[in-house]
Amino acid sequence: MAGEWVVVPAYNEATVIGSVVADLRTKIGKVVVVDDCSGDGTVDAARSAGAIVLKHVINRGQGAALQTGLDYALRHGATAIVTFDADGQHSAEDLPVLLAPVYEHRADFVLGSRFTGGSDVPALRRLTLKLAIIFTRLTSGLDVTDAHNGLRAFSRRGAQAIHIRLDRMAHASEIMDQIRASGLPYVEVPVRVRYTEYARRKGQRGVHAIRVAFDYLFGRWVR
Amino acid sequence: MGALTSFQSIALIVAAVVVAATLAAAASHAVDWRTAFAWAALWIVAAIAILRPSITVAIAHFLGIGRGADLVFYCGILGMLLGFFAVYVRMKRLESQITRLVRSIAIRDAQERE
Repeated sequence: MAGEWVVVPAYNEATVIGSVVADLRTKIGKVVVVDDCSGDGTVDAARSAGAIVLKHVINRGQGAALQTGLDYALRHGATAIVTFDADGQHSAEDLPVLLAPVYEHRADFVLGSRFTGGSDVPALRRLTLKLAIIFTRLTSGLDVTDAHNGLRAFSRRGAQAIHIRLDRMAHASEIMDQIRASGLPYVEVPVRVRYTEYARRKGQRGVHAIRVAFDYLFGRWVR
Repeated sequence: MGALTSFQSIALIVAAVVVAATLAAAASHAVDWRTAFAWAALWIVAAIAILRPSITVAIAHFLGIGRGADLVFYCGILGMLLGFFAVYVRMKRLESQITRLVRSIAIRDAQERE
């Protein structure tokens, strides 16, 4: 369909972004890479692979980059938007599964879950994420199995209900809050997350979770 | 009241200079009058407390705190915490303004390339 967009927030992903974009382009025409002021060749790599590239002139964090991409896609008449990580951990093969509930009008938010999709999640990562899910259930009240997966799909209406204010990593919990506040239907679908050596090295460390939780709670408290 | 101790004299001069500088800044519109008066009032209160320590002792006793110096210490800590908090909130607000600016530049630049 014409109105499908993929938003890929990227920061220093020059070595992988090209193949991620090329992969996505086989499934979806409109791929937007939001470059969060990378110091490497991310912009050129993404552009030559056929992505529309939005450039943050100052690094603002993944949450900020996501919102920039959502704004741009909505402004260009997107009917459905998928968010996708730049580090190669997600698979373009999962796009049809994510978009189906949106087109069948079953949900405005489709959340990819690595825990129901048979991904081989490393033990320590699994523990951190499980704790994070308990945190999410307590704070947002959503009953999900994976709250911190960057692979999601939004209907136009769903994307319009999201306004990410937490610029760094706490946006995942913030999105959950806003999904609940919107009252629109959401569904979880199983997706595969590949823990490549590269993705693991670039990914969040468990200790960062404390910082993220602080950002999130403070953000809820102070506007 | 006897002769001023050297600490009292120095403190009094510093307070007077700060109050004068604050009011001068407000007169030249470098800061607004409300802020200037609040800041000047704080220094005047400090000067009074230094000239007449018996006042802080009386307030401290009223509150069940042993020494006047302790009362001043507690108030100072509390004031600093409130100050840090205000600065933190302002910093967060500034960060979100920067983000909105960066976002609108990113979108505008992309639209110019189209």
